[in-house]
Amino acid sequence: MFDKIFPPKQVVLPNGKTVSEKRSRTPLIFVTVLIAVYLSIRFTNFEFSLLAKRGHEFFAIINEMIPPKWEYLPHLWQPLLDTIMMSILGSVLGSLVAVPIAYLAASNIVKNKVIVMVARIFLSILRTMPTLVSALIATFIFGLGTLAGTIAIFLFTLAYVGKLLYEQIENASMGAFEAMESIGITRIQAFRYAIFPQVLPNYLSTSLFCFEGNVRYAAILGYVGAGGIGLLLDEGLGWRDYASVGMILLMLAITVFLIETVSEYFRKKLI
Amino acid sequence: MVFSFFTRKAIDMIEFTNVDKVYPNKVKALENINLKIEKGEFVAVIGLSGAGKSTLIRCINRMHDITSGSLVVDGTNVGKLKGKEIRNFRKKIGMIFQSFNLITRTTVIKNVLVSFVPQLSFWRKMTGIFSKEHKLQALTALDQVGILEKAYIRVDQLSGGQQQRVALARTLAQNPTILLADEPIASLDPVTSKQVMDDFKRINQEMDMTVLLNIHHVEVALEYADRIIGVREGQIVYDGSANEVTDEVLDYIYKGKIGEVKQEMYKEGAYV
Amino acid sequence: MNAIEKQLYAKPSKNSYIYVISAVLLGLMIWSLFVIDFGSMEESGWAIAKNILLGIVTPDLDFLLDFTTQGVMYLLVETIAIAFLGTILGAMLAIPFAFLSASNVVPKPVAFITRLLLIFIRTVPSLVYGLMFVRVAGQGPFTGVLTIALISIGMLAKLFVDAIEDLDTSIFESMTSIGCTTFEKIRFGIVPQLIAIFLSIGIYRFDMNLREASILGLVGAGGIGAPLIFAMNAYRWNEVGSILIGLVILILIVELWSNYMRNKLVRG
Repeated sequence: MFDKIFPPKQVVLPNGKTVSEKRSRTPLIFVTVLIAVYLSIRFTNFEFSLLAKRGHEFFAIINEMIPPKWEYLPHLWQPLLDTIMMSILGSVLGSLVAVPIAYLAASNIVKNKVIVMVARIFLSILRTMPTLVSALIATFIFGLGTLAGTIAIFLFTLAYVGKLLYEQIENASMGAFEAMESIGITRIQAFRYAIFPQVLPNYLSTSLFCFEGNVRYAAILGYVGAGGIGLLLDEGLGWRDYASVGMILLMLAITVFLIETVSEYFRKKLI
Repeated sequence: MVFSFFTRKAIDMIEFTNVDKVYPNKVKALENINLKIEKGEFVAVIGLSGAGKSTLIRCINRMHDITSGSLVVDGTNVGKLKGKEIRNFRKKIGMIFQSFNLITRTTVIKNVLVSFVPQLSFWRKMTGIFSKEHKLQALTALDQVGILEKAYIRVDQLSGGQQQRVALARTLAQNPTILLADEPIASLDPVTSKQVMDDFKRINQEMDMTVLLNIHHVEVALEYADRIIGVREGQIVYDGSANEVTDEVLDYIYKGKIGEVKQEMYKEGAYV
Repeated sequence: MNAIEKQLYAKPSKNSYIYVISAVLLGLMIWSLFVIDFGSMEESGWAIAKNILLGIVTPDLDFLLDFTTQGVMYLLVETIAIAFLGTILGAMLAIPFAFLSASNVVPKPVAFITRLLLIFIRTVPSLVYGLMFVRVAGQGPFTGVLTIALISIGMLAKLFVDAIEDLDTSIFESMTSIGCTTFEKIRFGIVPQLIAIFLSIGIYRFDMNLREASILGLVGAGGIGAPLIFAMNAYRWNEVGSILIGLVILILIVELWSNYMRNKLVRG
């Protein structure tokens, strides 16, 4: 395409040989990016002067967060626990349901192209839905509370683990699977004994990794009423009670750090 | 022919006089080196690893400093150079390395153009736009090593032998008077090693360029070089024509380990 | 105990880890069943679920293809603009942070403190930054840009540092032998290596930022999030359907493009 609009230049060497030099794409990319930046500035009403004038406000807010309000800590335990539990339940259920869906989406196991396609499109669409949007929808269906948050995390985990798992299944070696099929074992059983052990460590590691991320996501789901610590964050910021917000963020950082450290330890052991 | 035979006077390209090299950790790398290499010679330096082959070669373009003695390269007293003088001096000397040392994420021609970088004007250095003459010179250099058609392909898509040829082209584009090579075929397989060595030989003969390489493979050295320099424990223990190298000589250079050295090469599969 | 039984008990130790993890997870899951509040499910939920599905199947096509400032198309473009400008700003801000956290560039304590700061920046949820910036710059897409820029810094800086530490410095040897100065070595030896990697990292982050930008509207930081929440609160499910379809298609296209470009940049 590009080479048709800007045909390659013929370079003639002193000894008479010619070589065709493709036109550099750098100028085109550079100009495109510049135009895109200009348009984006127009679209987003980007104003540097406003930032210069009011930017200090941001640091003023951070300043108010330090030191955090320690008396607020007792109020935090329950929502924090809710957040963690939402993540755990959503992640575990999502990872479990991901197995049959990944099975259906693996083209080397399921030969029916329609089923594979449907399973993959289902996973892609689920994965594209931002967690907060699915949580929002879930609050309409399941009411406000932790259940909606759990559902949202469940759906995201299902999509994320499902995609990575079917890719791993497709990369697994098929020898044992075919051997088992040839001696008359059903496909599902052959999958259970030949493919699943190969992908199991990776599957568990992916699920743990997804769980780590889910704790962060779960923390904001309360904003749309889906339970957990997000509700408090919203309240604190709404009432400009920044010292409490600082406390919440500190606890959140500690929790995320602890969970990541533990999970990372197990993930390293697995692979 | 007769005429040229008479006019071709031997010109000293490299002259080591009583050169010593001691590393800061007191390791004596070179000891009392006296060596004269003339224009157009093809010289191979052989010896065990750690004998000082690499140090010897790297002193010539001042990648290493000599501790005492004098080293004159193409009329320049190398030991006396400072700062900018060193960089200007290096422009005349091409060097090839074992690991090719290319920027793999960019095209072949951009790698070759690197050799013109020190001559660029300020704004060309900033923008990275090269003049047409430089591009033509770079393409000509690529043509000399037979990979002209790969000019606009990314280096990471080439084989090891082709990558070493890109490095060779980059060096040729410098238009050097001397070509140094530090283990140029150590990471290549036998077939590509042969191609690269053929390139060296051709450049040596067609352009009358002095080639000095240190090499791990004795058989290759004997096949291609006119002159062999044997280094043992920082001293030159053999200096003479390649056809006069006997098994006793090799045995002495390699401290009686020549059998092991050859066997090791069989194992590596790099035996040409 | 015969040899076969011995072999039976000499199982590789990796399995025991899997069992431990499974047991711990199962325990936590059962516990969490008591914590999660299942009572909130209402009868009307199923009706709403049906309506949402109906809305997605029968989207408001006029609204979806509307290019005026109220339409889905305009809002999607605005979301892209927020993500794009945010990524560029974030990448520019990330470069100094990357150097400040590279332990082979600055003293160890400085690198450690910068890394700690970056971890903290990454831990705070994007929505919180969004709400904070709304206080600074008011509601609108500009706030979205600032938020995206800030949340990008942490990850971009970390990936930049990894790229810097992975640099192939063997080219320096050759450039020294050619007679290049330090500036020339950086300009022609390092920059060409880094440009490809940095671009690839930037595109990856843009892909992520697009998802972030699409939800930031919920706090009034511009983009498609705000109309989505308005439409839902007003039970206009056809509009919700249009927005979701537009969003999903956009994110899928950008993801495909991002994978293609990154593959091309890294593998050539």
